[in-house]
Amino acid sequence: MKIKENLDSYLKYVSNWEEKIGSFLEFDISRTKGMSTVEGQLAGIPFGVKDNFAVEGFNITCGSKILEGVSAPYTATSVAKLQAAGAVVVGKTNLDAFGMGSSTDNSAFKITNNPWDTNRVAGGSSGGSAAAVAAGIVPFALGSDTGGSVRQPASFCGVYGLKPTYGVVSRYGLTAYASSLDVVGVVARTVEMTKTVFDTMKGQDIKDNTSVSHPGSRNNGDVKKIAVLKIEDGSLSDDVAKSYLESRKLLEKLGYDIVEIELPSLEYVVPVYYTIATAEASANLARYNGLRYGYRSKNGNDPGEIMQTSRDEGFGDEVKLRILLGTYVLRSGFQDQFYHKAQKIRTAIRNEFDKIFELADLIMMPVFPTAAFKHGSKDLDPFQQKVADRYTCAANLTGLPALAIPSSIENGLPVGVQFTAPAFEEDRLFNIAKVLEKDFPSPLAPGTKNWSII
Amino acid sequence: MKNSKTKAKYQTFIGLEVHIHLITESKVFCGCRNVFGSEPNTNVCPVCMGYPGVLPSLNEEAVKKAYQVAMALNCHLNEKAVFERKNYFYPDMPKNYQISQFEFPFGVDGYFDLELADGSTRKIRIHDVHLEEDAGKMIHEGSQSKLDYNRAGTPLLEIVTEPDLVTGEEAEAFVQQFRQMVRYLGVTDGNMEEGSLRCDANVSINEFGKGLGTKTECKNLNSSRFIKKALEYEIKRHTKVINSGDKIIQETRLWDESSSKTSSMRTKESSNDYRYFPEPDLPPYWPETKFLADIKESLVELPGIRKNRFIDEYGINQQQALFLTSEKSMADFFETVVEGDIEDKSLPGTVASWLSGNVQKILNNSGQGIEESSLSPRRLLSILNMIKKDKISTGIGKKVLGLVFEADKDPEDIVKNMGLDEGPDESEIFRIVSDIVDANPKVAEAIRDGADKQIGFFMGQVMKATSGKANPGKIQKLLREKILTGPEKN
Amino acid sequence: MKLDELYITARLAKLDLGEKEAEKLSVEVSRMLEYFAVMEKVDVAGLDATVQTLDRGNITRSDVVSSLDVTGRILANAPETEDRFIIIPKVL
Repeated sequence: MKIKENLDSYLKYVSNWEEKIGSFLEFDISRTKGMSTVEGQLAGIPFGVKDNFAVEGFNITCGSKILEGVSAPYTATSVAKLQAAGAVVVGKTNLDAFGMGSSTDNSAFKITNNPWDTNRVAGGSSGGSAAAVAAGIVPFALGSDTGGSVRQPASFCGVYGLKPTYGVVSRYGLTAYASSLDVVGVVARTVEMTKTVFDTMKGQDIKDNTSVSHPGSRNNGDVKKIAVLKIEDGSLSDDVAKSYLESRKLLEKLGYDIVEIELPSLEYVVPVYYTIATAEASANLARYNGLRYGYRSKNGNDPGEIMQTSRDEGFGDEVKLRILLGTYVLRSGFQDQFYHKAQKIRTAIRNEFDKIFELADLIMMPVFPTAAFKHGSKDLDPFQQKVADRYTCAANLTGLPALAIPSSIENGLPVGVQFTAPAFEEDRLFNIAKVLEKDFPSPLAPGTKNWSII
Repeated sequence: MKNSKTKAKYQTFIGLEVHIHLITESKVFCGCRNVFGSEPNTNVCPVCMGYPGVLPSLNEEAVKKAYQVAMALNCHLNEKAVFERKNYFYPDMPKNYQISQFEFPFGVDGYFDLELADGSTRKIRIHDVHLEEDAGKMIHEGSQSKLDYNRAGTPLLEIVTEPDLVTGEEAEAFVQQFRQMVRYLGVTDGNMEEGSLRCDANVSINEFGKGLGTKTECKNLNSSRFIKKALEYEIKRHTKVINSGDKIIQETRLWDESSSKTSSMRTKESSNDYRYFPEPDLPPYWPETKFLADIKESLVELPGIRKNRFIDEYGINQQQALFLTSEKSMADFFETVVEGDIEDKSLPGTVASWLSGNVQKILNNSGQGIEESSLSPRRLLSILNMIKKDKISTGIGKKVLGLVFEADKDPEDIVKNMGLDEGPDESEIFRIVSDIVDANPKVAEAIRDGADKQIGFFMGQVMKATSGKANPGKIQKLLREKILTGPEKN
Repeated sequence: MKLDELYITARLAKLDLGEKEAEKLSVEVSRMLEYFAVMEKVDVAGLDATVQTLDRGNITRSDVVSSLDVTGRILANAPETEDRFIIIPKVL
């Protein structure tokens, strides 16, 4: 591990912070060191991987009791590519079980706290990854983004969170939650690191038949005109609204052509998202039944019963809720009014975004209506947390790339802003992020430091 | 035996769902070996074990073979084929959904020309041909069930017919002829005992003109014979139930060979709602024009067509043609031999009778197929040529054939090394003939008086004396000469 | 959602719900379904369903056997094995 300072001080630092925030489910800097090349663009750089990715040498629990103790027999393509470039997996980060949640409080194993305020969540579902990066433990970490699960926690923790174009990074090795929405995402301290990690991972993979090779930006990543979503009064907390307006003013000051837009389809994105996501999830999670690996219940006299009890005992409440919803919307008699309807509205949403991109290079939106909320759902109950996905899940429904950028600190908590680009235009996102990074780079939470990685 | 009551009162509707296991190197969605009979759970990987994070990757050979069958069945090929998830739980299912096809299979609305017992053909409509993956295997032992996932993820092609078959016998014939066709195409070995061809049958009866009745599904039909028996049983059962005023319960029934009955399966998947939806992990497949054209060109001549061509082109009879085309390997063998001497118009008939007689007898004993044996088309042609040129007799030829199989040597070498072509010349044969006729004056007289059949006695004696090497035609000629001239008069 | 509908759905999803659990979930599921009802307002005439967000050509893999063998690790994760079989109580 090529850390400039003393390796022992680093490990002490990690231990100290982990006690405060609990971002890792497993942490071991030397365990998979041998699987990384010694040379490469990311040589020696430690990184965390959300525990819904398969990494040989570590377990893959997906934050759920039903996969407790399951050792990964293979490595995800995205991770393998980073290892081939020299980066070293140092641990698996905490998450909402199976990627379902906006807080990471839905993990079966531990709570992850926000490094900025340990009474608050780190966001979800990739809260562990975001917290680990924000605490300076690793310069980047992988997450997964199905409805905002990389961007929202990144925003809550004051770091960068990238959701690439669907299909550009292989999903092979990422536990499926919603197959047509899931992407491998990057949480990182700097724009440069975000871009490097993304460039290393992208590319077609025959093991993922939905992956494509990246054609590159059509216009060199150039950004001139930005469409800014008009915010209705009361839809954002005061802190977030203030930060959002200031971001807009800054862009005007920097000389970008700003046009205010409305997205009427945002009214439907959340129900459409949850209909499609839970439907696909209900099928994707059917394989977890205690027979071939993972938790097998002692209750049950025949395999049918064992499957039922293992699933009931192994899955948490949020997961069960989504499986039931997803099963229901696919049931004969209901599929038309729910699942098929949602897929058609999905097309309408994509059409609306495509139209905006005819007259602008990027769309600016908030990430989440509030900054990091407190543990225990007092601020936002699970239902309200879902409704709050409206700004992030549109990018998953449309397959478009989006990046969450730290924009300011309000009352001691980081607030972010989100940019969405047309398909394959990640370079435009990096472009705008670099410009804004000069004005406001990722802030260090009190007591944290960046370690100098060689 | 047909129940005359059934014939008059009710119409029978039988539809079949046939699954064939496709021959490919690897499984349909992962790179595991696709082979039968390995140690349990040795041909498995995270993908076909349904591990978290895995994805299916479509095998191009499975797609190709699927289109070959769809074309051979005269299907309309969908412009876009879509994979779907069929959702249900069972211990042998790695993902608890099966990747299959539903709304847009590879082929739809085809037909199969079924040859009926009376020689006529009827078109049996094919509803669809679709590709899917197989599940693992379960063995029940005592209080446990043992799971082996070697078979999970192997490519299956399902062919669904419309309910156009009307008797158990027809269904049996369909399965036999269909099996022959897919073996010809080389897409499967169609082995029902090993499970590479499986068949479920749906049957219903109803008063004429009233359309389909309530159907029952029959499973556990492990041979075409069982299909016939089970359906005949079911049709009788349906008839009895309806005649007594009751209603048929729509259910799945298992055939039990030992009791020769079907019985209701305990409802394991009572009214399962499969919740089909398009597979998000696999893009739709749009078959390209060139791809389809290449497949069409590579399609082998189907058995029925080949049989008729043999009759027309080679002048052999229906029975011979049926035998020769029963397996593609035999038909190929036959044509290769015949092509070895295209001028000889009598050759096809000779080859046909040798193959169906002498050769098949040896193959039956050894249990081999002709393509595995030591007999090559060239070797058979060589034997037949030696006989034609009178180098050896037919009897010797038969012996040589057996030796080719046993010793795996060329017939010319065998004949040379054993001196089998050194049969006695004419004067030698005449001397033997004379001795035997002279030794049996009474028989010779009887023959002169008209008891022609008795010449067989002399034939046998002469053959014995020449160790079978003498040409029977020559012996006959010389015998007649000798007998006609009468006893030596001194 | 009525409780019996929930039980049917749970059976299809192979979830064995306890009574209290079922009641709680029934309320949560109903709330989400009511929320989904807003989709009824949208006119989708002439729109195709989006199953995947990317249009791409046919993707197939060559028919070759992969040499990777992780069957040992796979069997090590199984709760109960015997002679390479995965063992479960007898299926009824």
